[in-house]
Amino acid sequence: MKYLFLLLFASGYVSAHELTPTYPELRTSYMNDVLEVKLKMWNARVDVEYYKIEVTDEDWNDVPFITREKTFKLEHFGRRDIEIFLPSDTTATYICTRSLLEKGNAQKSIISSKVCSKIK
Amino acid sequence: MLKVVIPMAASILATGVVAQTEIVGNVDSKCIIISETPGVYGNPNPYQLTTAPTNGGVQPIIRYDVLAADYYKAVIEHPIDFSTSPTLDDVVTWTGDVEVSEMSDTNMADYDTNKVEYDNAHEYEMSVAGSTWFKISSTADYGYTKSFPAGQYTAVVQAECIPL
Repeated sequence: MKYLFLLLFASGYVSAHELTPTYPELRTSYMNDVLEVKLKMWNARVDVEYYKIEVTDEDWNDVPFITREKTFKLEHFGRRDIEIFLPSDTTATYICTRSLLEKGNAQKSIISSKVCSKIK
Repeated sequence: MLKVVIPMAASILATGVVAQTEIVGNVDSKCIIISETPGVYGNPNPYQLTTAPTNGGVQPIIRYDVLAADYYKAVIEHPIDFSTSPTLDDVVTWTGDVEVSEMSDTNMADYDTNKVEYDNAHEYEMSVAGSTWFKISSTADYGYTKSFPAGQYTAVVQAECIPL
């Protein structure tokens, strides 16, 4: 049993973070002068439950956007549809989701993941 | 009872009721970041924390799965500060590196040669579809061979996947 534990500890765990599509399309929304973009996220990171949405221009400066929750909880193996609303003159280029790591859970060197989509 | 069941069964057979459930999937360009090994700092000397396996550490390993070539770049940053630590009153000197440790396609062999390095970031253009494993090394030296105070130390490796 002791060796099994050591093996599990040494082999770690596999966990993933995914955001699609790569190149989402800006569409007109039901509001005047407001554009909408839809993405899908999948959380297979067992060590992460919270993610943050970031929207930036091509120089990685933040741009204004509206979404239901900028920081949200997503359970392990959970999928989430993300709707983002942007002004019609937006300079938004990158939409990213970044994993948020809980301070209290820190045991070791930990990995923060950020996956982006690009508006072309 | 039979008088009710038999006509119902006959009715179902006659209309040929079939239940169908669709399973929908898309194969599209995408990037998945997979944290395979979280990493552990060894403490071979009182003044040093290192992920070097020869010094009791474990190097974190991150896998990138890219479904289409030339769509993404991977940016991996080795740590340059602690996210949690006891109070430190002296300078910590950080060193680190990122290198490809495994690959699903031999055409990825030149990823390390072609990577762009700036500050603590290592940028790889994912020019081949498939899986690439990146191994990160990190060492923190405290003061001039000064002992780290006792406590828990955590540092974060940043792994990003950015469309080109």
